[in-house]
Amino acid sequence: MKQERRGSWYLLTGAVLGIAMGLFYSWVISPVKYVDAPPYALRADFKEEYRALVAAAYLYRDDLVRAQDRLAQLKDDETAQRIAMQAQRALAEGRPVEEVKALGILAMALGQGVTPIASSIAPSQAKTFLPPTSAFTTTPLLIEPTASPSITLQTSSTPMITMDIPGSTSDFVATQTATPTPTPGAPFALQETRLVCNNDQPEPLIQVEILDAAGQPVPSVELVVTWDGGEDHFFTGLKPELGLGYADFVMTPPVVYSIHLADGGQAVNDLTAAECVSEDGSRYWGSWLLTFIQP
Amino acid sequence: MSRWAKFLIAVILGAAAGLFYGWVVNPVEYVDIAPESLRVDYKTDYVLMVAEAYQVDHNLGLAVRRLAQLGSSAPTDIAANALSYALQHEYVPEDLSLFQALGEALLTWNPNLEVPTP
Repeated sequence: MKQERRGSWYLLTGAVLGIAMGLFYSWVISPVKYVDAPPYALRADFKEEYRALVAAAYLYRDDLVRAQDRLAQLKDDETAQRIAMQAQRALAEGRPVEEVKALGILAMALGQGVTPIASSIAPSQAKTFLPPTSAFTTTPLLIEPTASPSITLQTSSTPMITMDIPGSTSDFVATQTATPTPTPGAPFALQETRLVCNNDQPEPLIQVEILDAAGQPVPSVELVVTWDGGEDHFFTGLKPELGLGYADFVMTPPVVYSIHLADGGQAVNDLTAAECVSEDGSRYWGSWLLTFIQP
Repeated sequence: MSRWAKFLIAVILGAAAGLFYGWVVNPVEYVDIAPESLRVDYKTDYVLMVAEAYQVDHNLGLAVRRLAQLGSSAPTDIAANALSYALQHEYVPEDLSLFQALGEALLTWNPNLEVPTP
């Protein structure tokens, strides 16, 4: 009678014990080993190294198809954007300038979808991508230019190196100390200052394009913008999708700004937000585009 | 059949079910693997990328650090294994020469001369 009341519970106990033993063995003692893993299973930091390596290798042969194939193994969304963001992070974290350049060049190539003409192992032979002026849809008409920018020579340099990305369209804000690598050679000279009217750009910007003597964009150039009671620093190359030599700063009307390269050279004074009007008469803020070039 | 025999059979069946679940249905997933767990063809391509990058920067220390991601083997062994795989799978001569160049450069690498990376 007593034995019958116990029923078959011992079988269930045995099964549960067996399952527990089986799971312990299969999850802890001898788990499935992924010895033939694909790159998309890499840890996030290894993925970043993988992307940096793809970019570095891309400089050797300029083979965009091969680079795209390699990056496709990571199964990233918006590969070009991801590479551009990584370039920004690398610059902000003070990674070697070669790595930043490589990532920026690859981001640009991916964004354009073209393979640059093969060059002989020359990371500096990047294409120049100016801000997308072709997107300007209205005839610019400058009104109320409070002052034409004036140019003076300034040779002082500012040792402070802090990063700030005003008006950055990405959600990344660099706050860390960076170590910019100045380009040796003659100081940059202002080549052109012009007002750019773009309906799609709601904020007034100071846009800067830095080119070397060969006309190639120069990243990591520190710029100093000052105004009455304030000063800020920013760097070229933080928006590689707009060019490695590109940088911008958001102006606040009606503040008057001056800007110069941290390493000296020409300063541009009396920069202030100016309005443009579109064909339908509506007004919007324009941006000043300053082009510096190494003579 | 004795009660103990039935119990033992239940344990075995349960263990089999547990193993099936743990190995097949819901195995341990490695989503954060290191490059050393990559499949051999991906590893070989990784080494090829290191070789291509080395042709650009000529930084042997950096190449060694990158190869170290692929395991604890000597860099020369990693490069040799990659070259061996590339030969077996008939990579193009240009790639083979890159493996060769990297391997030869690694033979000259002296870790004692390496400048520590900050």
